[in-house]
Amino acid sequence: MAFYLEKDFFEDVELFNLVGKVMSGDLTLHWYDAKTEHVRVAPKDPVRGLTYEDCNIGSYSYDRLPELIRNNYSMAPRGSELWGKLPDLGYTVNRKSEVWADNVAALYEEAKARRWAPAVDVPWADLAAAPLPAMLETAMAQLCTFLQECATVAMGISAHWVYSINQEFLELKSYLCAQILDQARHVEAFRKRALAGGQGLKRASVSVEQALKEILSAETYSTGSVAGNLMLGSFLLSLYRHMAAVAPSPTDLTLFRLVMQDAARMVAYGSGNLHYHLAHQPHHVAFIHDYLDAAEHCLLGLIGSQECLEPLIILSGGGTAANQVQAGCQHAARFLAQTVVEYLQRCERAGLTGRTERSRLPQYLKRLGI
Amino acid sequence: MAYLSTVDFFEDKNFLDRWQRNLKGELDLSWMQAKTEKIAVTAENPRRGLTFRDLDKGEYGFTEMPELIRQNRSFAPRGAELPYGLPDLQPEVSQKSEVWAYNTEGYYEEAMTRQWNATLDVPWHELAKYELPDEISRAYAQLLTFLTEVEMVATDVPAEWMGKLNNSFVEVKNFMATQVMDEARHAEVFRKRALTTGYGLMKASPQNEVGLKLIRDSDSFAEMSLALHLAGEGFVLTLFRFSEYISPTEVDKKMFRLVMQDEARHVGYGVQHLKWVMRHFPEKREVIHKHLDEVENLLFGGGYAVEVTEPFIILAGKGLKKENIAQGTKITALFQLKQVEEYFERLDKCGLQERRKMSKLHNALELTRASLQEAGVLV
Repeated sequence: MAFYLEKDFFEDVELFNLVGKVMSGDLTLHWYDAKTEHVRVAPKDPVRGLTYEDCNIGSYSYDRLPELIRNNYSMAPRGSELWGKLPDLGYTVNRKSEVWADNVAALYEEAKARRWAPAVDVPWADLAAAPLPAMLETAMAQLCTFLQECATVAMGISAHWVYSINQEFLELKSYLCAQILDQARHVEAFRKRALAGGQGLKRASVSVEQALKEILSAETYSTGSVAGNLMLGSFLLSLYRHMAAVAPSPTDLTLFRLVMQDAARMVAYGSGNLHYHLAHQPHHVAFIHDYLDAAEHCLLGLIGSQECLEPLIILSGGGTAANQVQAGCQHAARFLAQTVVEYLQRCERAGLTGRTERSRLPQYLKRLGI
Repeated sequence: MAYLSTVDFFEDKNFLDRWQRNLKGELDLSWMQAKTEKIAVTAENPRRGLTFRDLDKGEYGFTEMPELIRQNRSFAPRGAELPYGLPDLQPEVSQKSEVWAYNTEGYYEEAMTRQWNATLDVPWHELAKYELPDEISRAYAQLLTFLTEVEMVATDVPAEWMGKLNNSFVEVKNFMATQVMDEARHAEVFRKRALTTGYGLMKASPQNEVGLKLIRDSDSFAEMSLALHLAGEGFVLTLFRFSEYISPTEVDKKMFRLVMQDEARHVGYGVQHLKWVMRHFPEKREVIHKHLDEVENLLFGGGYAVEVTEPFIILAGKGLKKENIAQGTKITALFQLKQVEEYFERLDKCGLQERRKMSKLHNALELTRASLQEAGVLV
């Protein structure tokens, strides 16, 4: 055990006496006049319900959170009275501009409102009734094997950081929890999709996993977020959108539409976080550029892996006949170009000015003939 | 950088060449020959949809998963072909009985279909109909402060452990993900309710917070689950049930019913996990007892923190007058007794019947029962 309570309460005479007193009706009521702000919030719009935005009031608000949290390392809720010997729970992310995004409370509300369940919201029976041709189904099984690897990491990034982030950033932590659930849902949905088609899972990818491990291993929250939410998220969003456009079955169309809306939230948070981070720590522009100079090769490891690209070409072209493969290659090239452009535009809009010129990705696409 | 890919893809000429060939239509397609099992899965019950249980087949299934995961330490999904060169993620837990529970997949599916929304599913606008007495509002705000305070530990801790588990335990990791979200929703709903009382949040509870630290700092998954799912959430589940009973409004009853169904799932997982450990990992028994000694210290100290008991007494007795307090202390004593009784009943079900004889908490339970009988509260 790393930690033991300071007291053995079973031997604590003071506690026994206090309990005896209270249970005989002599209450201390030391909490009765807590030095906290009295508020009565209500939903501004009853149709939308009581949102976190409605609770963004006075000392309870997230707008008034200081940049540095110095006085609360416990789980005491923001705005409550801190007294006595509250423990230090070991939070290591205590700076608002590391984690915050102006859209985080809204994204959390959206994540809850748009929840779905793969078991029942994807029309699995339709797939069984009208199976895909074997070649397409095998490609889909491979793509879904790859997407499970990606979703596992997208889930892992949020899960890795939640534990370390100060509890004062409640709305942000709540959003990350929603994102963890979103990605768990994607792991589930892609696993089910691969197995439902009869082909089972296919091959894990070395280049993909090497890239994913590097992304997951980012040492700071801000680099982890830009690599995970913005770079990986942009790629996944683009891929889901592409797959929805070329979906070989109504089941797949539904599936990719559903995962797309979750991925869009991930990217929105990633962009919002980078924007907030750089607006409050402009000296980090150089640091993030430097990090991405090194990390953007991971995007190539994902997008250019055989286990992603080849099934993508087959699914985009509709099969493995020569004309289908050629059509698929054209689709895939457009998808690659679009993915890189959108990712770089998001970086620029978030305040990472000059990323397009600095990044090696456009040059690499030229070498590919795109 | 904590980890760098073994390949810099910008600089890898083979990678570029292969990619160029792919884009010219030269496909390798070796992945089509992956040596994996081809199976057909369908939803056994179309109304329930396609569940993880429907996928429990062959090498993809959890039933045939070996006790020790020796082959896969990467992101590769269970059942996929594992080529040479996959990274080692250094999972801390690769033994099934460290994490598994009977019905894990069932708890996960239930959680996914019973997600609810604290913003919309609690009829907040109806609170305007109620005008509660001052002492009830204050007491309720204090109880809600405590609940807000303790719920988020159950997001932090499972999230932390998710990253330490071998990816072969996909159903467990996914269940943990649902718990993370459930608890964020609980912290949200209690915070929102506190801010609608007219008082806002009240005082933190240091005596309970040290218990949270104990849970956060658990050394193993089994210890964490014991402290969090079985003990901590077990106590909170009883608290929710009594809180529904003493709730000042119908809105609150609805709220407690919603949180209760989530909490029951988490406790269910904890019980079924401990049962699994006892059956498949019996050598853990002594370690578990040792850990329970400290967990029970947490339960005892936290359970008697005045920031919880006093507002509970006022709410149960419906006021601050002498007769209210007298009634409130009776109900509170019964509630506390029930909390501890249910805790031991859960341990019994897991095969730890001997715990009662070794436990200081059980001793305290017996003393409380005797004093309540003497006072005529219990017959």
